Amino acid sequence: MKLLPILAAVFIAVVLQATLARYMVGGRWVFDLVVVGVVFAALQQGAVAGMLAGTIGGLLQDSLSGGILGVAGLTKTITGYVTGGLGTRFVVVKPYARAVIVAGATLVNRAMTIGLDGILHQGWPAVSSVAILGETAANAVAGLAVFWAAAALPGVLARGRFRRRSSWSRRQW
Amino acid sequence: MLRRPLALLVAICLVHVLLISSQVQSRSGMPVLESVAFGALARVQGAVAGLADAVRSTWSQYFALRGVERDNAALRQRVLELEGQLQAERARASSARALEEALRLQQETTVRTLAARVIAGNPAPGAMTVTIDRGERDGVAPDMAVIAGGGVVGRILGRPAAHWARVQLLIGRDAGAGAVLEASGRGGFLAGGYGDGLYRLELVSPLTPVTVGEKVVTSGQDGLYPRGYALGTVERVEGEGRDRVILVRPGVDFSHIEIVLVVLALPPDPDGSARVPVRPVAPDRGRRRP
Repeated sequence: MKLLPILAAVFIAVVLQATLARYMVGGRWVFDLVVVGVVFAALQQGAVAGMLAGTIGGLLQDSLSGGILGVAGLTKTITGYVTGGLGTRFVVVKPYARAVIVAGATLVNRAMTIGLDGILHQGWPAVSSVAILGETAANAVAGLAVFWAAAALPGVLARGRFRRRSSWSRRQW
Repeated sequence: MLRRPLALLVAICLVHVLLISSQVQSRSGMPVLESVAFGALARVQGAVAGLADAVRSTWSQYFALRGVERDNAALRQRVLELEGQLQAERARASSARALEEALRLQQETTVRTLAARVIAGNPAPGAMTVTIDRGERDGVAPDMAVIAGGGVVGRILGRPAAHWARVQLLIGRDAGAGAVLEASGRGGFLAGGYGDGLYRLELVSPLTPVTVGEKVVTSGQDGLYPRGYALGTVERVEGEGRDRVILVRPGVDFSHIEIVLVVLALPPDPDGSARVPVRPVAPDRGRRRP
């Protein structure tokens, strides 16, 4: 398990989330890119990596949001572990299939967050099903883009290397 | 094979539960982890927000509307300042109406504000806070009111970092303000946290007449927001009598907040004594103003 890619994925996800959330404060569009980062780490490197990514990402999210420290940490740790476990049991390779896992993880994470929120505030929060579906769709699209880019990147790099090598051979000839 | 990761998961979850429990029991001060993460990441957020703004402004100023956008931004800034002054004037006028509170009038006449740029939203979806690029060194203190052109945005949440502070938006859960219906002068409590983006005006007597379009302003009785600042307008009234629900449309467009003004004065305590910021106001050391 490589720690650096996990940290990078989570850090980029948190920074992107906070940056984009700045333009969508009103709450009409909800998304959680940290879930995408956690699922990415979990599917790439397994359950433990997903769990660590969830813990780090969730705690960062909690500390930046000013809420109760540990709520997002707990939900994302479980989300990362479950996703990583699923990823190792069922080999999921295609980007669209992984995007479906992102959608599922988003729903599970949201359900746990609402549940914890209800317990801590001793009352159920106002929940909009449209917002939850919107978040699921937005995360799935973001996940599709991330996994598609991750799948395409090695090929693009190899083609680039091949092109440079063949151009060099022609010059020698 | 699965046993060790599972044990690790249980251990991590246990730590989280203990962490949550400790905060639910007592939430005084800012935890160390929160303080470090907020301080460090706010710096990154400031840089990323600056980069994003630079890309956006390059596009809008040089490709989309060359030159016009720049003038527009300057004018928007000026309008914001003037609206801030207007609100201060309104606060003064409101204070004048309450002549019986002559002692408080003296404390509310001078309102200094500090312009701040919103550099990040909240990374947790649904949580209504934003981060601004002004902090303790700029004279920002906990609970200071934050306003924009349309009215009250929220208040400074928790202790600010050196150059950054978190603002709790008034539309968020657990947020609220003492409010007054401008026409009747009757008071109530304005509460946020509803999914439809509207406030609810609570604790208003069922006998008080409420008309759609009526302005709602801060009462200054909550010890947070100065008196007379705009909160919104009555959107609609549902039900009657004790079951009456007054829905208020926020004066601020929360879906797009770029620049806000921090009111550099804490309202007096309910007993009338003046509140002092945590630290004295430091002089501006040439930091970029939005």
